[in-house]
Amino acid sequence: MRPKTLVRQFGILGMLLAVTAPVLAERPPAAPAKVFPYAIHKKTLANGLDVVVVETPEFKNVLSYNTLVMAGSRNELEKGKTGLAHLFEHILFRHAYNGQAGAYQDLMERLGTHNNAWTWFDITFYHPLTFTSNLAGRTLGAEQLPGVIELEASRFAALDFNEKIFKTETGAVLGEYRNSSTFPTLRMSERLLALAFPDHPYGHETIGYYEDVVAMPDHYEAARAFYDTYYRPNNCVLVIAGDVKADEVFAQAEARYRDWQPKPVKPVPEAAPLQGPKREQVGWPADVAPRLYVAYRQPRFETASVETALGQLLAELLVSRSAPLYKKLRFEKQTVSELAFGEGTQGFESFDPRLAIFDAQLFKEQYAPKGAAYFDEVIRDIEQGAEDLKQFSRQKDAKQILQTLKSKYRYDFLAAMSSPAAIAQILAWYYRFERNPEVFEKLLGSVERLQPKDVDAFARKYFVPQNQVIITLAYQAAKAEK
Amino acid sequence: MVNMQRRVLLVLLALALPFALAAQQPKVVTVDSSSPLLKVKVTVKAGSAADPAGQEGLAYMTGRLLLEGGYGDPKKPVTKEQLAEITRPWGEGAYPQVLVGKETSTFSVTIPREVFTDYVARVLRPLFTEPLFASTELDRVRKETLEEIRSALRFQRIELLGLLALDNDIHNGTSYAHLTEGTVRGLEQVKPEAVRSFYRTWYRPENLTVAVSTQDAVIVNGLREALAGVGQRAGDAAALSPRAVEAPALVAGRHVTIIGLPKAIATGLHAGFPIPVTRADPDFWPLYVANVWFGTHRDSFSHLYQVIREERGYNYGDYSYIEYFEARPMYMFPPTNSPRRYQYFSIWIRTVSHDHAHHLMKALTWELENVVRNGLTPEQVEAAKNMARVLYLSLAENVDRLVGYKLDDEFYGLTPGYLDQYLARIDAVTPEAVNAAIRKYLQTENLRYVVVTDQSVADKRADDIANNRSASGKTPKQYQLDSEQREGVQYWLVPEGRLKTLQQDAVWEAYRLDIPRSNIRIIKAEQMFETAAMPQ
Repeated sequence: MRPKTLVRQFGILGMLLAVTAPVLAERPPAAPAKVFPYAIHKKTLANGLDVVVVETPEFKNVLSYNTLVMAGSRNELEKGKTGLAHLFEHILFRHAYNGQAGAYQDLMERLGTHNNAWTWFDITFYHPLTFTSNLAGRTLGAEQLPGVIELEASRFAALDFNEKIFKTETGAVLGEYRNSSTFPTLRMSERLLALAFPDHPYGHETIGYYEDVVAMPDHYEAARAFYDTYYRPNNCVLVIAGDVKADEVFAQAEARYRDWQPKPVKPVPEAAPLQGPKREQVGWPADVAPRLYVAYRQPRFETASVETALGQLLAELLVSRSAPLYKKLRFEKQTVSELAFGEGTQGFESFDPRLAIFDAQLFKEQYAPKGAAYFDEVIRDIEQGAEDLKQFSRQKDAKQILQTLKSKYRYDFLAAMSSPAAIAQILAWYYRFERNPEVFEKLLGSVERLQPKDVDAFARKYFVPQNQVIITLAYQAAKAEK
Repeated sequence: MVNMQRRVLLVLLALALPFALAAQQPKVVTVDSSSPLLKVKVTVKAGSAADPAGQEGLAYMTGRLLLEGGYGDPKKPVTKEQLAEITRPWGEGAYPQVLVGKETSTFSVTIPREVFTDYVARVLRPLFTEPLFASTELDRVRKETLEEIRSALRFQRIELLGLLALDNDIHNGTSYAHLTEGTVRGLEQVKPEAVRSFYRTWYRPENLTVAVSTQDAVIVNGLREALAGVGQRAGDAAALSPRAVEAPALVAGRHVTIIGLPKAIATGLHAGFPIPVTRADPDFWPLYVANVWFGTHRDSFSHLYQVIREERGYNYGDYSYIEYFEARPMYMFPPTNSPRRYQYFSIWIRTVSHDHAHHLMKALTWELENVVRNGLTPEQVEAAKNMARVLYLSLAENVDRLVGYKLDDEFYGLTPGYLDQYLARIDAVTPEAVNAAIRKYLQTENLRYVVVTDQSVADKRADDIANNRSASGKTPKQYQLDSEQREGVQYWLVPEGRLKTLQQDAVWEAYRLDIPRSNIRIIKAEQMFETAAMPQ
């Protein structure tokens, strides 16, 4: 239960979803207006909790029961107290249901639930997967077990935990940080974010700074305050997909969640414009391959905007195996072994403007003779690739390329909807921005309307030196001790 | 007369042709799905265990080169760039992927149903039947793979390093003993002719199984026919002689490999031994239930997770396995299509602080020994069966997995298939069968451990283990216990629930691993994966 997700794992998840096939009853529609094959039902309770239901009856007896909390590391505003959102993801599994230590988890297990969650910059997502017959409860021998809806409502609305539990979980989080500590990319991301967001909580990784994670056992009061502020019905969304009936779910949600008290959520201050270009070199004690990030500040996600729609195709234009830049670096010059967007497109599908990060893996044997000049060469090529997009519409086949990309986007979207859990996760991810159940149609519609000139305009606005941060990483042998 | 003879001959030919073709067509298995997208997977029954000695990486390079080495007319080849262009409008899944395991190489695509015919004509058929294996691509893929081994696998992923090292060590001396990607020396030896030989030898219709997410006869026949000519155009490449695949031997006693990484801030622990059980054996199911109880991958349900992470907060998770689990740590559930005829039992303790590594090495051994000694109670078996049923929801989550399991069923010769029988098999498992399976297959006398730690503490760790030094776990202070001063002496106030923990800690601490120094080897991360043999 509940391995926590770091940045890169989400990227992997996205990749996984993209290669799996859906079990859908309908043919792919030609018009984007009907791309999502299921009806989305929504009800907002009096306390502000949105309940969103997707009925997928062909997945017999499957229930994907998800709670989206619209708070993540972006809401960690206090210096020295980073990592609390992620810690809370752990604490919620420790809920003392009916005052009994460990009872929540125990009951979920006895019901039969695969129970997990992940934390991201903007949100925290809890996603138990179970049988529909467990929604309202189950009789086990002589005992009546409460249902998933009752147990979930209880831990979100009335979390019961103490300082001891809090401190034990901080140990698990420290272990999690340690797991990632041999990844040079964690260190690179930490430096990248610090430079890109000096005045905004996007400036730290979801897991928090190492010093803060070590000091976490002393932050019990801050943690309680975090829960009190953000775990509120008006700041959460229930997304339920599977073999369910929307009306029944609404009725039960009403009964279980109505006592959860709302509270206004303080807005996160906007980040100041980036004062780039900035560049920093990170030394690494093990003999790893050199690597570099070239990041550009992006616009925030707005479902129907031209810029957001363009962002959906950006990876395909720049770092896909058919992109001119990718082919040049990996196949023609062979200066990189891999080129991708770090964090994928999800990296800039965010409440506040985040980053598109070119992540280039380089070769040790080319770095040995060339040193920093090797970094400079790859950086120049990446900058040129971004620069070329500013003239995209002048290519004679620009319209055709864009048409191909739109087609690919539609099929990838369809392929990602492979199970109730996948559908619920993707729906929650996009729904949160405007709380609009029509979000898929809006997004696909705006992608469909894109014109070649939109590519030029986007590139001209965002791929500029002021928006740029570069991090390079290379092996640096430890200095001999004196 | 002449005419007559010719006619007879033609009739005979006409009769023989379907048989000849049938013999050369691959088997196709199906999953029924109404999705507008088709999933197609093609398994070649040869993986890295078929790599000739000294050319470790040949199966992997053949799989990669089939996709990236171009196909069609050598004068006007369809390059990997053109392949990408062709498949691009049909979605990311239309560009084929390959997974090379020990025993199989599996190719996967997802395509819109309506482009099937086009896809077969422009991609699937020529890709498999007219590959070119361009040597420039071989050089590039080799270079990238070597970089991956030398940099990423050795130094960047402490957990993966430990998992792969144990996998190699368990099979030391057999054709399973090297990475599926190959070894540094082996990859350097792979020549284009060898790739063609591997293709000619193993990529043949009778050695292929295809799985597809439809029962539509047009599509099923289309696939069968498209792949009928696989392996015929291999030029004059010599056939390879098959390599013996041997069961790994049980090591005598307990042996430890300590791998030193530069500047590792934590220690990862692994242990395992071969078991003669695959999912094709009836004993698999009770053993599976036992393992769900003991160490379900990435789930807090299991015992190891409960005692090491949940109760004591040492790390992020603690798991055990009775089948090889590809692509940990990132996957939550076992990916399909890396089947193996030889399996092993293993334990994975995710990274802990250096100070507690020795203690937890004892703990993992004691816990396994304890379950072997005492077995499971009927209540524990019932809870594990309940958990196993829930896992089914994820194992059978989507079409990709359903199709993948179909292929693995073919490998293991399972009818009904793994998923088809899963729930009924779990229901039928009894506590007696679970305990019999535990006694029959699990043990702690003959174990291989892999410890991945910081280079600077490797020697000390070896000495501590060899000398049976007491290795304490967390202190009362680290457990956040309250204390009070009485007459100048500090007393810890141990709540009832914690007392059991501390008592068990003392049991773990006193447990003797009894591993002589001669059974412990220390190697450096940079020595790993150089050849098929474990570094000494």
